[in-house]
Amino acid sequence: MNDSFLSSTALNDTALNGSTKTADMSAPAVPELIRLADAPVEVRDPDIDETLDIDRPWVVLVWNDPINLMSYVTFVLQKVFGYSREKAEAMMLEVHHNGRSVVSNGTREKAELDVFRLHEHGLWATMQQD
Amino acid sequence: MAFGLRRPFQPKGPDRFIVNLGDRERAVVKAVCEDLLGALDDPAAEPLLRRVYPVAHVTDATIDAAYQEMVHSDLVSSRRKALEQIVTTAEAKELDREQLESWMIGLNTVRLVLGTRLDVIEDSSPELEPDDPDLPAWAVYEFLGGVIESIVRSSVDTL
Repeated sequence: MNDSFLSSTALNDTALNGSTKTADMSAPAVPELIRLADAPVEVRDPDIDETLDIDRPWVVLVWNDPINLMSYVTFVLQKVFGYSREKAEAMMLEVHHNGRSVVSNGTREKAELDVFRLHEHGLWATMQQD
Repeated sequence: MAFGLRRPFQPKGPDRFIVNLGDRERAVVKAVCEDLLGALDDPAAEPLLRRVYPVAHVTDATIDAAYQEMVHSDLVSSRRKALEQIVTTAEAKELDREQLESWMIGLNTVRLVLGTRLDVIEDSSPELEPDDPDLPAWAVYEFLGGVIESIVRSSVDTL
């Protein structure tokens, strides 16, 4: 997450929406337009998370395949993610019955690492943004 | 132990596993690993290796290409390492945990490739005629399934 990107978006948002809270005019990322506006700028708490694509987490999916053994898939999920046997088994069964299961989520980098470790073990894993 | 219920792998301690395989079974294990070592990075074998290097991103080819670029050589070398370890320990009476893990990952990779070649689409194997040319490959596929199952059980028991 990029702080300056975040704060400028927050301020843009607040400039449009009006205000209940004083903006910090010393923040380095304040856009020129807002700095020039009449001070103090009163702002409302911004809704950041839904406006930023970068905020949407990545999910890692494991897909059903007819080759890997059910016990093997369960064990790999335990080993790679440290999941309990119950949790890993529930995920394996979801893969088996529904064709796929979300096994982890996080940043793109984390998803890539998780997919890599699953691929190393021969599981059919993919990543996508939620 | 009851006849026919011999476990190929048996935990002996937290870091020690007994290998109950006969000479012919060990020879098969070694041979299939040597075969795959020769094909692991061979472009001609690519269609058979699609399960070994799967697609990571289904809808975005750019992200997938970036991922493949980043990991492909690591995926090749970790499989190579596992298969080589199996070849060098094929006659061992006991394995430590790291070696056992190599057996699990290496033999599972072999089974993925065999399963791809046999076009496995169901959990159970088909009825085959006695003269079916794929009969030996199916036998090895089933045998490896039993070996992997036993490794997993031994590993879980000592997790």
